[in-house]
Amino acid sequence: MEPVIQVKNLSKSFVIPHQRHDSLVEYLSHPSRIFKPSGEKFTVLKDIDLDVYPGDFLGIMGRNGSGKSTLLKILAGIYSPTSGSVKVKGKMVPFLELGVGFNSELSGRENVFLNGIILGLSRSFLQEKYNEIVAFAELEKFMDMPLKNYSSGMQVRLAFSIAIMADADIYILDEVLAVGDIEFQKKCFNIFREYKKRKKTIILVTHSSASVRDFCNRAVFLKDGRLHFYDSIDGVIKAYEVG
Amino acid sequence: MFNYIELLQEFIKTDFKLRYKNSVLGILWIILKPLATFSVIYTVWSNIMTMDGNYKMELLLGIMLMSFFNEGVLMGLGSLLAKSNVILKIKFPREVVVVSAVTISLIDFILNMIVFGIFCISTPVTVTGLSFLLFLLAVFTMYILIMALSLFLSVIFVKLKDIHNLTEVMLQLLFWATPIYYKLEMLPENLQKYVLLNPLTTIVMSARKGMVTGDIVVASDFKNLAIVTAVCLVVLLIGIRFFKKRIPKLAEYF
Repeated sequence: MEPVIQVKNLSKSFVIPHQRHDSLVEYLSHPSRIFKPSGEKFTVLKDIDLDVYPGDFLGIMGRNGSGKSTLLKILAGIYSPTSGSVKVKGKMVPFLELGVGFNSELSGRENVFLNGIILGLSRSFLQEKYNEIVAFAELEKFMDMPLKNYSSGMQVRLAFSIAIMADADIYILDEVLAVGDIEFQKKCFNIFREYKKRKKTIILVTHSSASVRDFCNRAVFLKDGRLHFYDSIDGVIKAYEVG
Repeated sequence: MFNYIELLQEFIKTDFKLRYKNSVLGILWIILKPLATFSVIYTVWSNIMTMDGNYKMELLLGIMLMSFFNEGVLMGLGSLLAKSNVILKIKFPREVVVVSAVTISLIDFILNMIVFGIFCISTPVTVTGLSFLLFLLAVFTMYILIMALSLFLSVIFVKLKDIHNLTEVMLQLLFWATPIYYKLEMLPENLQKYVLLNPLTTIVMSARKGMVTGDIVVASDFKNLAIVTAVCLVVLLIGIRFFKKRIPKLAEYF
């Protein structure tokens, strides 16, 4: 089977500027320096090789600062690799954060369209699905209220309800499982099971061993920028728990 | 593939919605604000200085064009940074952000032109089909020029914040290097050459000829403007290349 995501020899480093010499005169004397930062090189991801196949539910575990978010951002096409390559086949929707573009001054309704269109959904599709989104979020009474008056739980519910409308082949989820109360969490988990049933490819980044055990058919452990593979999911969870 | 146009519309709509949120008069401000501004200018120039009607309308149009330029460049400059929260979370064609900022300033200009139309009731202007075409070409050239500059400035601004102050100073300089409050003919001849090198001079003078002065528009008017349009298009192409080259790595610098 052909992998839908193919990561080869991927490395990513950032430059941490030692001292900021942002002085205009200095830049003007060497204009190209604006885009060539000097400083200490900090390698976040080292030689990552990863193949993800259609229908995989891949869990990525790792401590804070291990490079998970950077890896996801590269997969999502937000950062570009320093070296190596990333190939993605099919439509991908990254949920690196819920409610991208949400504006607190706008009403819930306006935010549905703003966020949905940023996610790549069409206006007509959103109009069609609007009632479904509101019903799933359980926010029927609040849609004309500005978002700033929503509780954080309500905001996340709305964001999540829009996000699941995005129809893609590959989903990237970053720690979004732990949203809302128990009832809403259950609904979310049902959606993930549904994705799994429909053979969608999902990459899930989480700290929760239980979620990995429940959903994933594969898992990897990211430590200090390197990917570690184990024979079983339990092996990964063990490695993560040991550190 | 990506819903380019809808995203553009949504960004523009959001901007206008936010601008007039929590204000009693709301959307009316779109017209009221330029109306108030231009009333001031109009009154001042009618009473303090005795000038012919044409001059007042030329002045109004000149100021409208320059505020189109100023706002467009400054909004374009800040556009990428202003949308960093979205840019860092999802992949979409980044140029939409710049295009929406510049287009918002174009829409503002068009709304200002409605106000200009209101002033035309008391001070009529002469417009023919051909002269209106010249005016449209001038506005188009302005839009292209703002877009071209914004593509450079927005990227540089992410890395180098000084560019904002520098741009503001340059805008001031350009304003006075463009015949808005004075006429080109008032300048000494050797200075006129330099002022004509400023593309805004040709744009403003063409727009005035098209909309206000009532002078007969001839082929050379189009030729002079077309040269500036062509130059702006070339700068735009270079801007697009610069933008495309720099944008993949830009997310890391926010």
